[in-house]
Amino acid sequence: MDAVLLGLSLVVQPFNLALILAGVLVGVVVGALPGLSSPMAVALLLPFTVMLDPVPAISMLAALYCAGTYGGSITAILINAPGAPPAVATAFDGYPMAKKGEAGRALGMSAVASVIGGVFSLVVFLLATPFLAGVALSFRPAEYFALAVFALSMLATVSGRSPVRNLIAGAVGVLISTAGIHLTTGVERFTFGIPEIADGIHFVPVLIGLFAVSELLSQSRSLDALYERITSVVIRLPSREDFRKVRGTILRSSIIGTFIGILPAEGSTVAAIIGYNEAKRWSKHKHEFGHGAIEGIAGPEAANNAATGGAMVPTLALGIPGSSTTALILAALIMHGFRPGPYLVEQTPEFMYAIFGAMLIANFLFLGIGLAGAKVFSRVTLIPPTFLWPAVFVFSMIGAYSYSGSLFDVWIMLAAGIGGFVMNRHGFGPAPLVMGLILGPVVEERLSQSMIMFDNDWLRFLDSPIVVVFLALTVLGLAWPALSSRFRRRDVPSEPAP
Amino acid sequence: MTTAPGDGGRSGDAPSVSRTDVAVMLVILAIAAALWLETATFERVATLLAQNIPPEFFPRLTLAAIVVFALVLPFEPLILGLGDGAKRRAAPLPAMTWKTAALLVAVAASTVAVGTLVAMILACLLLPALWGERRMMRLITFALLFTGAVTLVFAGLLRVPLEPGLLAAWLGIH
Repeated sequence: MDAVLLGLSLVVQPFNLALILAGVLVGVVVGALPGLSSPMAVALLLPFTVMLDPVPAISMLAALYCAGTYGGSITAILINAPGAPPAVATAFDGYPMAKKGEAGRALGMSAVASVIGGVFSLVVFLLATPFLAGVALSFRPAEYFALAVFALSMLATVSGRSPVRNLIAGAVGVLISTAGIHLTTGVERFTFGIPEIADGIHFVPVLIGLFAVSELLSQSRSLDALYERITSVVIRLPSREDFRKVRGTILRSSIIGTFIGILPAEGSTVAAIIGYNEAKRWSKHKHEFGHGAIEGIAGPEAANNAATGGAMVPTLALGIPGSSTTALILAALIMHGFRPGPYLVEQTPEFMYAIFGAMLIANFLFLGIGLAGAKVFSRVTLIPPTFLWPAVFVFSMIGAYSYSGSLFDVWIMLAAGIGGFVMNRHGFGPAPLVMGLILGPVVEERLSQSMIMFDNDWLRFLDSPIVVVFLALTVLGLAWPALSSRFRRRDVPSEPAP
Repeated sequence: MTTAPGDGGRSGDAPSVSRTDVAVMLVILAIAAALWLETATFERVATLLAQNIPPEFFPRLTLAAIVVFALVLPFEPLILGLGDGAKRRAAPLPAMTWKTAALLVAVAASTVAVGTLVAMILACLLLPALWGERRMMRLITFALLFTGAVTLVFAGLLRVPLEPGLLAAWLGIH
């Protein structure tokens, strides 16, 4: 109880509250702006959070994460351009509703469903994190190795069209993490004679390049994008009738979103799409979907915000990121000298409660801000890209340089940005690469420790039932795309002969 | 713009092995081979020091995984029944993207000589100009005000160190 009070008291300090408010405002704006995203904003802010104490720093990033997930729904509804990937499914029915003159009702439902989903997942976060951390305390290196490999295998099922590309991108991230001096032997690996790489490739410039610079290059292809804007908006809270219609959908989506969030590597976008599909599957008004169904907004919005709290569970309890944004928050924790995992939860529980408090406050803040200012936030899309993206580049340069005061990191950022753009163009997304980058050191370290403990005998991994379970899940995770494709094709009735 | 849900992007083009994917596979295999050779140049250490895990072991394990996945890559549309989207990936990049990338590299390269502050001003002037902004007053105002605000906040308030550049050193400005 002391830890709860201490954690919450840390959050409600005026400076921390101001940073949470700033995180929410930045989150809603970047969420609303097509092209900008919460992972990008967190990546850009990472180097500057070094100057803050851990609690305000992580609170701000966590608040930004929650608000950024919600912010995308504003532009999804008003201009049919989801500001962030998790809001893609919201546009399916949000924009048709707006075109019918019900934008205010759609925005109200989006905000309320988001908050309910978010708060639900935070309650689960509060209960599940200490439990999971307690279980993980008994893990030895072999179990951790198997868990991290399982998390990497989940990349095969994350959103994106190509599981194989996701796995390759994840493996590339792991490979990048091996550059620098090998801790066990002191041997330089992949340094190519460049002394700056001896310490390893800093992940902050890589993350900034992958999320900001590569997106800037993508935007250079669509400078003339025009959006059809719904202008007459009076925000309305959902009516009692609306609530009656969507309460089952919101509850279902909250559970789905939280569960998807807890799964390693899965994030809000997957949760939103499943939330939308399930809302449609259970609805009595299936024919309304795609034409402005209120359940089509409640489903994905409750699910994508529920995934934020869910994703924090493995991030804090196991040190395994639940999504690309939590991978960045994990990076921030490492930068602040923490080792995310069960010992963090056990030894500094107040830290977990502080994050809970920050995310809870963020949910209610974006409800107020979203309801009061949705129309204003939709106008951020009026910022000309010719000024917006140069500003993003300037922030990227300062962020990359300031991390270690080295111009070499600016080159790393550019290389990651251009490389990330090329990879993205060929279907290799940045999120799996980030997962690999973060999990790579965990996998190598735990593998080395296990091999030393097992005297180089691979078969001894199978002595642990937990390892066997994780490895079985890994095989299932890798095979799942092929299996699900086979099931899908079998379910599709063959066309009759002409 | 978002389109209504349907197949989740899993159809469209008929599943097939595309030349683009084969080319991507070959590029990945070539890079993996080069990096594998690089692992052969890692310094040799005594087995006792390496504790049975030589420094090249894990990178090679990762490279092996990349090679296996790369070999599957061209056949993925056939295995999973996916529309491969190869036409989209094979489409040539617009010249603007190349020019933008070149400009970013040039701005970063100039930082060594002119320092971060001037490089930021250059980015704020040249990038919008490259992207078609022709209102000079607006452009100059943006470049000066935005760069000034960023410098004030980051260098002034947050004490973020900025690269002075060779020019400042030559002029004796600190």
